Amino acid sequence: MVEMNLNRRQFLKLSGATAATLAIVELGFNEQKAYAKSKEFKIAKATVTPTICCFCGVGCGILVHTKDNTVVYTEGDPDNPINEGKLCSKGTTLRQLYTSEKRMTKPLYRAPGSDKWEEKDWEWMLDTIAKRTKESRDKSFIVSENGVTVNRTEKIASLGGAALDNEETYLVSKLMRGLGVVYLEHQARI
Amino acid sequence: MAKEYVKFVDVTKCDGCKACMVACKNWNDLPVEETAFQGSAQSHPKTTADTWNVLQYIEHENAGGGLDYLFRHSSCFHCTDAACEKVCPENAISYTDFGSVVIDQDKCVGCGYCVQNCPFEVISLKEYKDKNGKEYRKAHKCTMCTDRLEEGLQPACVTTCHTGAMEFGDKEAMIRKAEKRVQEIKGRYPNAQVYNPQGVGGTHTVYVLAEKPSVYGLPENPKVPTSAVAWKDYAQPIGKMMLGATTMALVGAFVTNKLFNKEGKEQDGGGSNE
Amino acid sequence: MTNHWNDLQHTDCALIMGANPAENHPISFRWLTKAKENGGKIISVDPRYTRTSAVSDIYAPLRSGTDIAFLGGMIKYALENNLIHKEYVVNYTNAPFIVADGYDFKDGLFSGYDQAKRTYDKTKWALAAGPDGKPVTDPTLENPRTVFQLLKKHYSRYDLDTVSSVTGTPKEDLLKVYKTFCETSKVGKAGTILYAMGTTQHTVGSQNVRAYAIIQMLLGNIGLPGGGINAMRGESNVQGSTDFGLLWDNLTGYLAIPKASVPEHATLDGYLKKETPPSGYWSNRPKFVVSLLKSWYAQNATAENEFGYQYLPKPGSKNYSHIFLFKAMYNKELDGAFLWGTNPVVGGPNAGKEKEALGNLKWLVAVDLWETETAAFWKKEAGSDPSKINTEVFLLPASASFEKEGSISNSSRWMQYRWKAIDSKGEARPDLDIIHELALKLKKLYAGDTSAQASPFLALDWNFGNGPECDIDLVAKEINGYDLTTGKLLPGFGALKADGTTTSGNWIYSGFYPEEGKNKSKNRDNKDTGGHHYLYWSFAWPMNRRVLYNRAAADLNGNPWSKEKAIIWWDAIQNKWVGNDVPDFNATLAPTAPGGTGAIMMNKDGVGLLYAPTMNEGPFPEHYEPFESPVPNAFSSVELNPAVVIHEGDFNKKGSKGTYPIIATTYRVSEHWQSGSMTRNQEWLSEIAGYMFVEISEELAKEKGIKNKDKIIVSSARGEITAYAMVTKRYKPFKVRGKVVHQVGMPWHFGYKGYVTGDTANRLTPHIGDANTQIPEYKAFLCDVRRAD
Repeated sequence: MVEMNLNRRQFLKLSGATAATLAIVELGFNEQKAYAKSKEFKIAKATVTPTICCFCGVGCGILVHTKDNTVVYTEGDPDNPINEGKLCSKGTTLRQLYTSEKRMTKPLYRAPGSDKWEEKDWEWMLDTIAKRTKESRDKSFIVSENGVTVNRTEKIASLGGAALDNEETYLVSKLMRGLGVVYLEHQARI
Repeated sequence: MAKEYVKFVDVTKCDGCKACMVACKNWNDLPVEETAFQGSAQSHPKTTADTWNVLQYIEHENAGGGLDYLFRHSSCFHCTDAACEKVCPENAISYTDFGSVVIDQDKCVGCGYCVQNCPFEVISLKEYKDKNGKEYRKAHKCTMCTDRLEEGLQPACVTTCHTGAMEFGDKEAMIRKAEKRVQEIKGRYPNAQVYNPQGVGGTHTVYVLAEKPSVYGLPENPKVPTSAVAWKDYAQPIGKMMLGATTMALVGAFVTNKLFNKEGKEQDGGGSNE
Repeated sequence: MTNHWNDLQHTDCALIMGANPAENHPISFRWLTKAKENGGKIISVDPRYTRTSAVSDIYAPLRSGTDIAFLGGMIKYALENNLIHKEYVVNYTNAPFIVADGYDFKDGLFSGYDQAKRTYDKTKWALAAGPDGKPVTDPTLENPRTVFQLLKKHYSRYDLDTVSSVTGTPKEDLLKVYKTFCETSKVGKAGTILYAMGTTQHTVGSQNVRAYAIIQMLLGNIGLPGGGINAMRGESNVQGSTDFGLLWDNLTGYLAIPKASVPEHATLDGYLKKETPPSGYWSNRPKFVVSLLKSWYAQNATAENEFGYQYLPKPGSKNYSHIFLFKAMYNKELDGAFLWGTNPVVGGPNAGKEKEALGNLKWLVAVDLWETETAAFWKKEAGSDPSKINTEVFLLPASASFEKEGSISNSSRWMQYRWKAIDSKGEARPDLDIIHELALKLKKLYAGDTSAQASPFLALDWNFGNGPECDIDLVAKEINGYDLTTGKLLPGFGALKADGTTTSGNWIYSGFYPEEGKNKSKNRDNKDTGGHHYLYWSFAWPMNRRVLYNRAAADLNGNPWSKEKAIIWWDAIQNKWVGNDVPDFNATLAPTAPGGTGAIMMNKDGVGLLYAPTMNEGPFPEHYEPFESPVPNAFSSVELNPAVVIHEGDFNKKGSKGTYPIIATTYRVSEHWQSGSMTRNQEWLSEIAGYMFVEISEELAKEKGIKNKDKIIVSSARGEITAYAMVTKRYKPFKVRGKVVHQVGMPWHFGYKGYVTGDTANRLTPHIGDANTQIPEYKAFLCDVRRAD
């Protein structure tokens, strides 16, 4: 696992004062703690994992704070020399990729002519996709053309990949070429 | 005593990315709210109870006939003499050692005097319903991330700002820095100035503005309303003596309506935030 | 990027063209702000006064699609005022090379044009070669057939008056930009050019970039800290996905795909002979190709079967790129498609037609975090009649970037690792596992099949674990490659061999995983190792080099041109190149040795190409008007790039300037990303940028009776959309060839799904692409605007 060094966080120089002694100035008949003290410190006891922003090509470092099986906060990674803890509005919002209620959480299938999705399990989905792939490939596969071995299918396309990890793009590249797919494109073209 | 701190905002370094807006929502877990199209890149007309800082976008034709596209991170100024603190009948608003001005949500009764009296219009009320369906209100605004300050961390907005348009640090050092910066940019922005209005005793959000305050909709010379001073320093202690704290809100309503004009504005000069 | 983000702080002048980094690559401005504090200047050239312009020192407006005119004027200015780095130009570029007699240029056309085919015979542009096959040169640059003199002649036509009347840029602004940027020709100074899709998304996109290259070589800015040509990439791993060959014409590591239409490609031997140059680093190509084949076909790749070369698919004679792909889909030539986190119903050109095309598929697999406009194209809300669409759709929930682990490569070519922070939401799975399990299922379906079509797939080696979860470490190691003799991981691509004894899934990445347990993309030592290059942070391909062509930052003798811009230099005592970066050069090749001054080592002859006879529309960039333009071409009678492919008919309608007199362009805003499928599904980003708008000038608004915040309709020959008017001072009408021309701009992030919705700008854009890359011309097309009520 990665070793985190959180020493470069932007701590204030608090003149020796500690949090506990920093009492709120009390005025009049105010005897309660200030609002700010009334809640638990948000990232206390959270697990911190470094990641790289999934948006533009700058490659900013982000720290993901997780607690109780959710993402409680995301902030710039002060150790990453590219952004030194700073982020734009998109990077700052990374947390909501997890918390958004719009996230898809189940495989969905739409039958021909249907006007709705149906929930299906992964096994059925991947089995059916594999079958469709094989059917389309087999009926269209060109082994040779004008005496040259070409081993291709022009019936299947693969699009996208700019948001995938390198290892994933490598597998897409390898699997699709391995199947003989020649309509292989991604966002770099558009 | 802890040191007094200032959030220094150099608007001439800002590139308008709005990270500060989202960082604030992210740290403070603030919900989204619907806003109308503003006709510019600006998302909200001003700060609200759920949006404690708003990035302003201004297209300004300067004296030389050229176009300046100006940005400003706008949020609570954390005044040294805070009108909101003075008018609060429940003493829910207080100063911290850091220089921030905070609202104690447990004490706030949602009377709205702070909203009416803030010279910068940065405080807003939000309506809630309790479990019996009864409506109540609370006032909200930027806390300067006082909970972070207490843990030795800078405010979330400052932490994320990539151009260095925002810095957080020792009050005197930040003010010196602001003054120096104004000298550096006078060539490009002849009206550049430090905005740290003395009418409210100076603020803990100190700006370098590229233009006159009115260009940003800020009062040129904001003051604590004299009526607020009267309320805080005279009426309130007397009232408290007479009636006890719990009924002060009622008296407050009476006094406020008598003393303040309808909008609760007594500031002089400058433009408005509309 | 030749350089990297942190290096921007070293620049003396950043020319930002076709890009708006303050909004679209905000953190770049952390480093550009530092450059400014160090005395550097920032120039923003854009049709619209952007937030980048707001924080720049100089702003120059430019009509969309006229970059070559603008830059041609700068080339002329630099040459005529002798603002070039002469010694650099003579030694590190092909300026002194003599061009053979076949080359000519007349009225917008280079020699060798075939009007019927819309292609050139590039052999007409060949450089002269001596009896030894080596180029003929004139280091005095005086011979009229030198590249230098032909360049001068070509751009002598780009005078200030003509340029200004074409671009709409006031002459004083042109001069201000030319003068400021050309000052970086001085030794001790470096200028950088930053660009993005505003440069490439034109029918002349590749030549726009070529013009940058010419300027940067004339000024001696390539290879220097604070210099270079820096493409700011729009997606977190569009660099990596390109490196890994997700484009029809490239295998991994930019190895050209063998084609059925090239007779030599029928055999591995023929392919290697045809594609391998005699000099330059690409002379090692056979090692890269054979090692890739060994990675893919393992024990099924032997010397006897051409290392499995015949298993690879060979595309036919057509073009298979995005526009052509959708045209084939539209024409019902395709059965099925896989979409890996992509949303062409919002992001594709002429998106309405691309949506229609999807209905002609039999099956569609979409792997995404969200139900995108593309995955839901068959729905009523998409404007479709579901009962008439027979496409089967499989929507697979994918993990977010921090719910899995793996590496991505940023614009700087830095390969950084992302660790897993949390289990995937719901039943979402990493793409890695989805691809892996699909491959295993297909292997099972084909098991025992002895047919001819089964054999290439059965020969494909797939050894990343037998369960549904893929072993990512095995994938990473396969990418790096092994020495098959010792079984050990390879130290780098220098160790690759063409005899089948080494493997590497992507040669340019070889060396990132040199020994067990040392995946360098995981490196997190952020010590500044000198010059802000951070050599121990992550891994930069190739071989951890941070500034490409850094040999060119030193003179012929191997000494830095200046101490201000030193990066590597020859240490005669140690007999090697030393400095702050990994040399982009043979580390022990002395400057005095043969080839020791060939600073641009990837190129044949070791020089940069001022003259590039490989480009489809000519060796020098020439201005042509966009596919749809409001004015005729001032430089020649050739209106459109003569080498672009024109798609006729219903698939791509063309608008006339009579019906659609206004120029339009698309762009992004900082709060949203690409088709908005990620950001419009995040509440806070939806809140701070919630509306589809069109920016129009006060002058155009007045002419059309439009007020700020009015709903307006924008129409093009492809369709129309409704949006809010954002009336702004930041767009000004252009004075072009004596007439007033308006331009409008709009974001392309919106669609009908997500927390915030809006009409899709790409319903307006045309299906026409650049002559070399087929990148669509999103950035200059014609439209009209009117009030919605």
